[in-house]
Amino acid sequence: MKVRQSMADLLAMLKKDPNIVHWHTIPGREAASVSFPEKLDWRLRRALVERGIESLYVHQAEAFQTVLEGKNLVLVTPTASGKTLCYNLPVLQTVLSDPSSRALYLFPTKALAQDQKNEMEELINEIGVPLKSYTYDGDTAGDIRQKIRRAGQIVMTNPDMLHSSILPHHTKWVSLFENLKYIVIDELHTYRGVFGSHVANVIRRLERICSYYGSHPQFICTSATIANPRAHAEALTGRKMFLIDRNGAPSVRKHFLFYNPPVVNKQLNVREDEMLAVKNLAARFLKNGIQTIVFARSRLKVELLVSHLQEINSGREERAKICAYRGGYLPLERRRIEKGLRNGEIMGVVSTNALELGVDIGQLQVCIMTGYPGNMASVWQQAGRAGRRKEDAVIIMVASSNPLDQYMAGNPDYFFSRKPEEVRINPDNLMILIDHVKCSAYELPFKKGDTFGGQQADELCEFLSDEDVLHYQAGKWYWMNDAFPANEISLRSAVQDSFAIVDITDRGHVKVIGEMDRFGAMTMLYEDAIYIHQGRQYHVDELDLKERKAYIRRVNVNYYTDSDLAVQLDVLETDDHGLLPLAHSEKGYGDVSVRALPTVFKKIRFETLENIGWGRIHLPELEMHTNAAWISFSTDWLDRFGKDVFQGALVGLSHLLRHAAPLYVMCDQADLSVVPKIKAPHNELPTVFVYDKYPGGIGLSKKLYEAMPELLERAKEMAEGCGCESGCPSCIGFVNEGKAAKQALLHLLRER
Amino acid sequence: MNVSLKQKLQLYKKQLHQAQETENQNRQEKSERMDSDVYEREIRQAARDMSAEIRHFDNESVFVHTEKLELETRIGPYSAGDLFETVSDWQKGSQVHPLSAYGLDADELLFFDTETTGLASGTGQMIFLIGLAHVTSGGVEMKQYFLPGPGHEAAFFNAFLSDSHSLKNLVTFNGKAFDWPRVRTRHQFVRDQVPRLPAFGHFDLLHASRRLWKNRLESVRLQTVEREILGLGREEDVPGKMAPFLYFQFLKQPNAQLVKGIIEHNREDVLSLIALYIHLSNKVLGKVSSDEEERYEIARWYLQIGDDERALPLFRRLAVRDSITGIRSRAQMAALYKREGHYEHALTMLQSVIREDKSPNDHIYIEAAKLMEHQFKKYESAISYTESALEYLRKKLKESADEAAGRKESAYIKRINRLDEKWEREKERSRNRE
Repeated sequence: MKVRQSMADLLAMLKKDPNIVHWHTIPGREAASVSFPEKLDWRLRRALVERGIESLYVHQAEAFQTVLEGKNLVLVTPTASGKTLCYNLPVLQTVLSDPSSRALYLFPTKALAQDQKNEMEELINEIGVPLKSYTYDGDTAGDIRQKIRRAGQIVMTNPDMLHSSILPHHTKWVSLFENLKYIVIDELHTYRGVFGSHVANVIRRLERICSYYGSHPQFICTSATIANPRAHAEALTGRKMFLIDRNGAPSVRKHFLFYNPPVVNKQLNVREDEMLAVKNLAARFLKNGIQTIVFARSRLKVELLVSHLQEINSGREERAKICAYRGGYLPLERRRIEKGLRNGEIMGVVSTNALELGVDIGQLQVCIMTGYPGNMASVWQQAGRAGRRKEDAVIIMVASSNPLDQYMAGNPDYFFSRKPEEVRINPDNLMILIDHVKCSAYELPFKKGDTFGGQQADELCEFLSDEDVLHYQAGKWYWMNDAFPANEISLRSAVQDSFAIVDITDRGHVKVIGEMDRFGAMTMLYEDAIYIHQGRQYHVDELDLKERKAYIRRVNVNYYTDSDLAVQLDVLETDDHGLLPLAHSEKGYGDVSVRALPTVFKKIRFETLENIGWGRIHLPELEMHTNAAWISFSTDWLDRFGKDVFQGALVGLSHLLRHAAPLYVMCDQADLSVVPKIKAPHNELPTVFVYDKYPGGIGLSKKLYEAMPELLERAKEMAEGCGCESGCPSCIGFVNEGKAAKQALLHLLRER
Repeated sequence: MNVSLKQKLQLYKKQLHQAQETENQNRQEKSERMDSDVYEREIRQAARDMSAEIRHFDNESVFVHTEKLELETRIGPYSAGDLFETVSDWQKGSQVHPLSAYGLDADELLFFDTETTGLASGTGQMIFLIGLAHVTSGGVEMKQYFLPGPGHEAAFFNAFLSDSHSLKNLVTFNGKAFDWPRVRTRHQFVRDQVPRLPAFGHFDLLHASRRLWKNRLESVRLQTVEREILGLGREEDVPGKMAPFLYFQFLKQPNAQLVKGIIEHNREDVLSLIALYIHLSNKVLGKVSSDEEERYEIARWYLQIGDDERALPLFRRLAVRDSITGIRSRAQMAALYKREGHYEHALTMLQSVIREDKSPNDHIYIEAAKLMEHQFKKYESAISYTESALEYLRKKLKESADEAAGRKESAYIKRINRLDEKWEREKERSRNRE
């Protein structure tokens, strides 16, 4: 009979594993508690005691105090540190003493709002006073909406709903806006990049409406660990913030392991595929009944891992114990998985960063990361998923062969001493700004001299009035258009212009199984692509651009597909340029036009990753204007190394920059692109461009422009630190004339 | 912000999905508008061209067009003065019917319609025209309030609210869902300056029209009802959906010609409401002939407001017909009889429906089964009716599965089981008796 191995057995085995290159133990921590604050309402106190809470963690007590003093607050709270009490206590205290007070809670997703609503309801039940808290989202039934608007004391919603439903109908919410005391923004760090820039503008609109109704609400924000919580909260809300980053919650002992897969091809310095390593590691825990969460960085990887892991079990029911969780699934499916994890019916889950958020799945014992997740905030959010009850938790980061992962694996001290990244938003991105000025004018006319987000809106209003959207009269700009602007503006580019994925395997039961944004659709759902969903393969029969539907059919093949993009890049305007500490080079920053055209796709065999065929993609070009930073080199280099070698060096540099960039800005991989050009159209010099993948830019390339010298230094270290001779995935990738190219690049980066 | 912002705005224009407008023209219009004397003159001229007075309020103004039409004015098959007869007929009719003018004088009915800057319901869409009419012994008094520009809403609402003392008896077409919520939204913005919105009562002719004619009209819009039911034709009507666009043009260039068509459209809408109200009332009151389907719907309406006394005779007259309406009327009568305790009559009606309807639905069978079980204690027939219901349902389920039908199915099976038990007990009891 097979004997189950315990966690201790498994740890002992791992200790002997030569591929574990680093073992870091984070000691457990006792709770730092204080007794209930004097001021705490006796009903709240009683309710807490009923729930078995006899004292508060220090940060909870401090939050309570700070909010009641009238300050705007941002709290840095790791996973499972009792953050909800930090805002629920002061809010409930206020609502209990003045029932006309109102609070608005914003969560990044519907699911989170739902979770919080349930938790709030339990607390209210124990308080024994009929306080009214509601979620307000797309699923809220029509007949109770009116009640919520009139009488909801605590309204939990998401920024999208605020944007498209609440603000444009503010006259129906008079009692909320007249009495709004608190705005709670949970998971602050998720409001970054484009989404965050949009949300900052939604908050500007909210503020305009509050001041119209004469209220001046306080903000309470909570965030995962990031470098600039206070600055970010201030950028998002436009208010001065008080920061609490002391955490009094206890934690268990955690073992943080680095696993670097062995080199399987010495010449090419190719390591064993990290997916394979993850699969084997996860299987060891899962087979022994230890609940495990695996994080992967792309949807594709999630799907591949699930299908591999499901193979360790036979039988339908057993297979269902391991499942995928990612964006693009329908809500019902996600709820089922969340519940299964909580009650233990689901043993393992493979997730994209969707589960980084505080979705209530309880905690698991083991967390495995497929590669460095791209930023330190994610590392600690994901690691926080492991650590249940009193048992030791295990976190394993499996390095992939990309340069950043290898750099981290080789420099664990750097890793553990690293500060979390900065979160950047650019609420003044012109595209985004103008969209929200439209929405805001729809909600309330702009007076001449009115400000929006601290700056005068006159010029924007004039522009919009030239565009026949606003009408100027007697010192005010009025919305004068038959459109409803919020409907045309989506806060998340992922949902914007989304494509439905339609399964037509069974012609009698055609069903929608997910959705995807336009860019995703054009790179993953082109005709003849193999699309993978919940571990199943589908062939894309048709991509209907007009109807925005992709028709897919179940298949079983031994390959997947990957697309290539042809990118045309033109500099429209140079805003700034400067010299670099390198010889014969300069950097620049400005506006660019990017035209991308998916051209061909490759078919790649699963087991061997060899290329077994290709096809053409017939799709129209995508065009956008955005910001870019670039590095240009003198043509002297070209003459010195020859075109082929130098081109290899440029491609190699792009490879390094793509991976090093996340060290300086917190962004999703999809937010940035790096493109080498042997002859850039604007200055005819060899140039590497880094651009924001959002129209108008969101501040990423700006930050990279500023950090360019450090970025290049990091790229140099990555290339130098790699043992290979002629380029490998861990440094410059596989390029033409690899050996010479790597040498050329090192010259380039060293010569002063 | 600096000059380069303007340049950037131009640069991004293409992505802003804004068509390149004829900018020079805009500039020109704008500079003209800047000259406020010229503008004032144009506004006054526009008011004159609309035959409207300008009323001032808090530095704002509103155009009010007043008009008196003779009682003999023809509106389709009616004249405006026919309203008096209709209102007097209601005094003898139902007091609670949604269309009933019981206890009212004809001049208390306010026929009401608005034009807006867009169909969406948010705070950014305005009402720029309100048309209002009531019928007095001296004629039809018609008022139209026109908003000369967005900054004049206080004057606009002040004039409308001061003129109309009561809004308890508005007659509209879809006013409940469209016009009134918009009035409330816009009023919210000027609530500190103008009278409160009074309580309002409503005769919504859309609901009435939908009841009577939804099957015969491709869409129940006011224009369709006018044309198909009242035989009214409009000459050169400006379609309502053009209204926002024309109004925006007017704002740039206050020329009455631009909005003349909309104002006429609104005027005709309001007048049509008078005729439509008379016509619908006549139908419900039985003053004009109605076809079977209309009569059936009228009866059903009475039934729904609990007026069995008026519903029953209407159904009874229809029930003798062999048509589908006749059969459906019998089913309705069965329910009425049952409610009043006439179980035998109810059963006769149901059996007749089951016999004559080509495919009676499960509901009819179940009604029969209920009577058999609870009133006549004939479990065997109750079972057989329920089985027929189940058969019908299963046939339907095969065509398309839906959740509600699934639930019904299990309820019917439960019913059969319960009846089986009752029947068994019954048989046992009678055996014991023997």
